[in-house]
Amino acid sequence: MRMDADSSMQDTYFERLSEIPNSDKYRQCLQCGTCGGSCPYGIATPFTPRRMILAIRANIIDELLESGAQWLCTSCYTCSYRCPSKIPLTDGIIPALRELSLLEGNPPEELAAALVNIARYGNPFKESPRKRINWTKELDFEIKILSAKEKSTDVLFIPECFGAYHRRCKEVTKAMVEIFKILGVDFAILGNDERCIGDLTRLSGEFGLFEDLVEKNMKVMSKYEFNRVVTIDAHAYHALKHEYPKFGFDKPVYHHTQFLAENLETLKSMFNELDYTVTYHDACYVGRRNGIYDEPRNVIRAILGVKFVEMKRIRENALCCGGGGGGVWLDSFIKEHLQERPAEDRVREAAATGADVLVTSCILDIPMFEDALKVTGLEGQLVVKDISELVLEALK
Amino acid sequence: MKICALIRMVPDLVEELEIDENGTEIYPSMYIANERDEQAVEEAIILKEKHGGTVEVVGIADDEVSTEIDEPLAMAIAKGADKAMKVNLSRPTYKRAELAKALAEFLKEREYDLILTGIQAIDGFAGMLGPMLATYMGLPYIGNVVYAELKDDHLLVRKELEGGVIGEYKVKLPAVIGIVSAEKPPRFVPFAKLRQAMKSAEIEEFDLDVPEIEGLEVERYYEPPKPEIVLIEGEPEEVAEKLIEVMKEIGVL
Repeated sequence: MRMDADSSMQDTYFERLSEIPNSDKYRQCLQCGTCGGSCPYGIATPFTPRRMILAIRANIIDELLESGAQWLCTSCYTCSYRCPSKIPLTDGIIPALRELSLLEGNPPEELAAALVNIARYGNPFKESPRKRINWTKELDFEIKILSAKEKSTDVLFIPECFGAYHRRCKEVTKAMVEIFKILGVDFAILGNDERCIGDLTRLSGEFGLFEDLVEKNMKVMSKYEFNRVVTIDAHAYHALKHEYPKFGFDKPVYHHTQFLAENLETLKSMFNELDYTVTYHDACYVGRRNGIYDEPRNVIRAILGVKFVEMKRIRENALCCGGGGGGVWLDSFIKEHLQERPAEDRVREAAATGADVLVTSCILDIPMFEDALKVTGLEGQLVVKDISELVLEALK
Repeated sequence: MKICALIRMVPDLVEELEIDENGTEIYPSMYIANERDEQAVEEAIILKEKHGGTVEVVGIADDEVSTEIDEPLAMAIAKGADKAMKVNLSRPTYKRAELAKALAEFLKEREYDLILTGIQAIDGFAGMLGPMLATYMGLPYIGNVVYAELKDDHLLVRKELEGGVIGEYKVKLPAVIGIVSAEKPPRFVPFAKLRQAMKSAEIEEFDLDVPEIEGLEVERYYEPPKPEIVLIEGEPEEVAEKLIEVMKEIGVL
């Protein structure tokens, strides 16, 4: 039985790889080990990306899967970024391995639950899809929700699941729409028809679910007229910008750091002084993945009174918060393998700069870092704020 | 071993329940497979993997859920069940005795060695389908089961008892057992695989008359008044002062 399972596993794997651009480059792997040395889980995993490729070549994928190494990846993209052969490790080699785990039916439980919930309710939290717009009721003004009556807008704003449902992350969403309002932007949301954009399902190897989400979201978006998309969610930004176009989506997509930078002159004229020492965390899917490094820094520096300090590892070398690629649902799995999670390492690094505010731009950073502050005992010394929250504070 | 696992649909509590004006009907806006029944399906498939045999899943549906139940049935096929059947009840019933009596004949004809059901379903909260089914079928029943294996000519099951004790029992087959949880968490089925199963699964349908058993009637369903929650906000000193006032008011201080 094992033999059969292996050969069909191998076939499924290579079939999936064949659908991912450039994935045959794994043949060009030099076994240099740059990937493993760059990986936040490199010291803990039995199979670094280099050894994964070795296992694929040696036809011992089952051994690899059994070790659980495919889940010790936070999709931070550092390995892919640094790989001299440009092998798509984050988009191809690893999610295709994860897909095999999903097919075997035994992914880590928390992740499995999140995926099941996304498929059924359109969000990982097992919340009612009819409550997706509930955050808007916490505002003291009304916002436009696209419908048969209201069919067009300039900016389509995507809060995505964390921004719509997560108790703490909703604050970021609310801050962003308040900034829109102050700037007089014509914006609207999809309301309860928005579903999980799905980047984490793709990175988790749940390709079928991702395609379903793309299809459903594109169908909803096709009913309306809008000029561009703005989102506070780094993974939604990435998926809408790079993955949805493969399915025909053709609207310009902006991460909110880009949007804020674009409107900086207007914002500047309204900024009040803030007495903070601020450091900025380059989120993987804002920075390394999409090259957005200067926009958030320019916005932060433009706020009067703010002293900006850099951490040791910045820009393309920034350390991941550990939340991406489904990592936000793999906490207990990862904790079994690793003494200190990347987020804990990262907040220590942030605290060492002397900053009192750690500014982030990826929604997953907030729960990851706030949790890490509690674990490390740094709570009180350092607070986590999304860039939109900092900007709104300066506007008030 | 010829194994049967039963699947019931229950209200999905992610959406709020609506109670009609008379208070005698509950209208859920969404249904989901009963979680304990999904554990029973998993245990059935685990038993098949251990000892061979076949697994047939039987979905119990009334008009409300006759379409919705196709998904959990297809899910069971995707997980490894051999056959899916759907019994359409002539009328909905909350009485487990009526349901058990209706099912007994249907299941008897199929000569299963083992019938697995979830220990209880959240809509009735009776834990009675298994025991009543066993009674009508003249079979042994054991509930609260967390593990089962075939040993010689009987089934060895473990059930959880109070006080952290596990009881191990020998069960003569055929039998009905009530599952709390399978040996392992229900296996994951990727979206594409479920879709494929939904397209290709052949679900055999049967109509089933629900007999009437008197003696029990719904008086009313209602939601008890919700306790009032007051959030005390302010500086720690203020909060403490207000809290003391509240405690004095309710007489604990």
